[in-house]
Amino acid sequence: MLFESLLAGFQLFLTPLAIGLTFIGILIGLLVGAMPGLGPLMGIILLLPVAIGLPPVAAMGFLIAIFVGGSCGGSISAILLRIPGTPLAAATLFDGYPMAQKGRAADAIGIAISASAIGGLIGGVVLISASPLLAKFASGFAPPEYAMLAITGLFAIAIISGGSLIKGLISGCFGLLLATIGTDEFSTGYRFTFGTHHMLNGFHIVAVVVGLFAISEMVYQVIGNDLLKKPDIKVERPGFGSLLRTLRHWGNLIRSSAIGVFFGALPGAGGVISSFSAYAIAKSAAKEGEKYGEGAEGGVVATESANNATVGGTLVPSLALGIPGDASSAMLLGALLILGFVPGPILFEQEPEFVGGIFLVYMASNVFLLFAGILATPFFVYVLRIPKFYLIPIILILCSIGTFALQASVFDLMVMFGFGLVGILFRAANYPLAPIVIGIILGPILENNLRRALLISREGYWIFLDRPVSATLVCVNVLLVAGALYYACRNRKRFFTKQEV
Amino acid sequence: MKLPKSLRTIAATAAIVTMSAGSAIAEFPERTIELIHPWGPGNAMSVSQLIAKAMGEELGVDMPVISTPGAAGTKGQKTAMSRPADGYTVFDGYVAPLVLQPILGNADWTFSDFKPLNAAVSNAFAIGGRVDETRWSNFEEMMEYGRANPGELRYSSGSRNNLPHMVIAKVLQSYGVVAQNIPYTQDGNAVKDLKSGVLDFSFINVGNYIQDKPAFNIMLVLSELPGAKASYDGAPSIADLDIDLGLSGLAPMGWTWWIVHKDTPDDVTEKLRSAMSAAMQRPDVRGAIEKVGFVPLEWDHSQYEEVVGPVLDQLSAMGNALKWEEEELKKLN
Repeated sequence: MLFESLLAGFQLFLTPLAIGLTFIGILIGLLVGAMPGLGPLMGIILLLPVAIGLPPVAAMGFLIAIFVGGSCGGSISAILLRIPGTPLAAATLFDGYPMAQKGRAADAIGIAISASAIGGLIGGVVLISASPLLAKFASGFAPPEYAMLAITGLFAIAIISGGSLIKGLISGCFGLLLATIGTDEFSTGYRFTFGTHHMLNGFHIVAVVVGLFAISEMVYQVIGNDLLKKPDIKVERPGFGSLLRTLRHWGNLIRSSAIGVFFGALPGAGGVISSFSAYAIAKSAAKEGEKYGEGAEGGVVATESANNATVGGTLVPSLALGIPGDASSAMLLGALLILGFVPGPILFEQEPEFVGGIFLVYMASNVFLLFAGILATPFFVYVLRIPKFYLIPIILILCSIGTFALQASVFDLMVMFGFGLVGILFRAANYPLAPIVIGIILGPILENNLRRALLISREGYWIFLDRPVSATLVCVNVLLVAGALYYACRNRKRFFTKQEV
Repeated sequence: MKLPKSLRTIAATAAIVTMSAGSAIAEFPERTIELIHPWGPGNAMSVSQLIAKAMGEELGVDMPVISTPGAAGTKGQKTAMSRPADGYTVFDGYVAPLVLQPILGNADWTFSDFKPLNAAVSNAFAIGGRVDETRWSNFEEMMEYGRANPGELRYSSGSRNNLPHMVIAKVLQSYGVVAQNIPYTQDGNAVKDLKSGVLDFSFINVGNYIQDKPAFNIMLVLSELPGAKASYDGAPSIADLDIDLGLSGLAPMGWTWWIVHKDTPDDVTEKLRSAMSAAMQRPDVRGAIEKVGFVPLEWDHSQYEEVVGPVLDQLSAMGNALKWEEEELKKLN
């Protein structure tokens, strides 16, 4: 059945239009991903009206390729400029940027692209071979499981906080507090909106991330006294050596991709959690000598393979159940319906050749990503040779355009600059920024699912122990707390020491 | 040659006046027209993109759809209202922010504060359960179970205080059944939890239904319109109930009517109306809308009061159902 479906899909995919548009989609995706503020979702929204006039497989190839390219593109600006192009790449700058600072920018981008492509392909293999099975597994995840999983995710803060755990936790709590702003889903009351309609849905996560990372970084760059100096950076030749370097981290690659597929398959979890979780686990499992946070290749491999594998994972509930995994896949589902295909079990039964075509365009997108990305690496790295005097205004303009485009809102620009200031203050006080992002992402997942689970429960908190997966996650969380307390007691000094942010 | 300051001022003023005059006589539209959509990315947004694309083609400009979710659509409505009344902002006037939120006291406008362009689409809802449910097989039996076990049933209407919540609460109130509504950020997750047995019943839209028909037992279509019943393959509808819920026409359904600010110039409004009307009549647009499970609507601007007015009256009359549900649940806790 699977083989026949793929074979039939080949006929639909092997047309110049479908192949060409998939390739163009990757280039557009890389571009929108690399531009701070934009991202795969914005790329899909902007180009959906174009896609729906195309033949179905070509249209879906175009949109899926934007999703794939956009999920990787954010790593380029994270590595080169310490600015995550999308929240998905926020964890990539931990090691990607230090690699670039050590003169290994091309290597870092090559590894990011290779890891993204391989992670995406692993996600694709799971998508093709285990969609119904994984969809069934994901269906079993209900509010109690999501709440417990969000608590597990918060432990990532402890691991990525670097030198000072207490400062990382404070940053994380700040993110959790920010996540409470907006309309309460349960009481429909407004929280900390200060009477303005702009805050009825809280702060836009992209405006916050661009402000925290990009604006603060630009200010730090301006403070430096080398604005007019032409950077003396050697632009390395492109090569597929980075693919081999990535494959050396095969254990990390497979593990992180599996994490990405897992979180992708859970509707509502998403790529940001998967990349931070994969990074935290890779760091915990690192061999002696692998200095995470100082330019370890493994760090880039973990985050990028995870967030691109999430795309494959996200397509599982989207195609197999008709439930979008995230906002980007929600738009893909909309496109599918407009094109005349109903996602869900019925799609696999009635349109096997079209499903095969979608599988193939997804796999092809990842292969094209590898080639297009690596061949374009020198052009990306060339950015580093532009004197900061010219580069900083260009980046600020791109940040402003991207953030404004989110909701055509000047308020989002104010949020961006406001959080730029917050970023500067946090960095000046040596508080890490990444836990803020984790807090903002996990806050609503934790709060809403905790309250939802308790509303569903007829026996109060027992619901968390009544269900096997939830009970297992409770045990994992208890063990993690016990381990963290034990570790903290043994290393009391580390709680209060300074750290590099 | 350097001009005196006074001459420079006059020259600058003349230039500004000339430019202003130029823009005043310019043909509308000169630039992109934004459609403010009150929900996040998803099927509803895709449908709005379809219509906006066709309408943009009629007008000769792009019509990007700006997703502005928050506060049951109120954020989008307020965002649109804060824009200039020049025709360059069109509101995707969904029933929730346009009619329902003012009834619930969360907004201070009424539908007649806006100029209508054209009706866009409607989307019928139904109450659905699982096919493998052993406690009941139809709606009446479920209501019997609910009466015997007050507060035991768990259901979802998607978000809280939305139209499906109000209609389901009204139905439950009519049967004297107290059930707990579980709000969900994404409707898809509610459907997933219904299928896995976490919820007892849920609101199901046509899009959910056509994606996995064998999984659902559609117990009650929340519309008396024959077209809605047909969308759910002839499942029982509120027209088949022994009780009269006082709901008809668009009242129990999701729908959107594209509107503009009341102060928008008449000539601009007319251009927008004829462009939207032409877009809505295009067979390709109607066909694509139907594929998503939505129903393209026929009404033009002249029927706005006549169609939306009764919806306001009917929803206002049933506004106490949500309060009733809340108070009954409090009594049980």
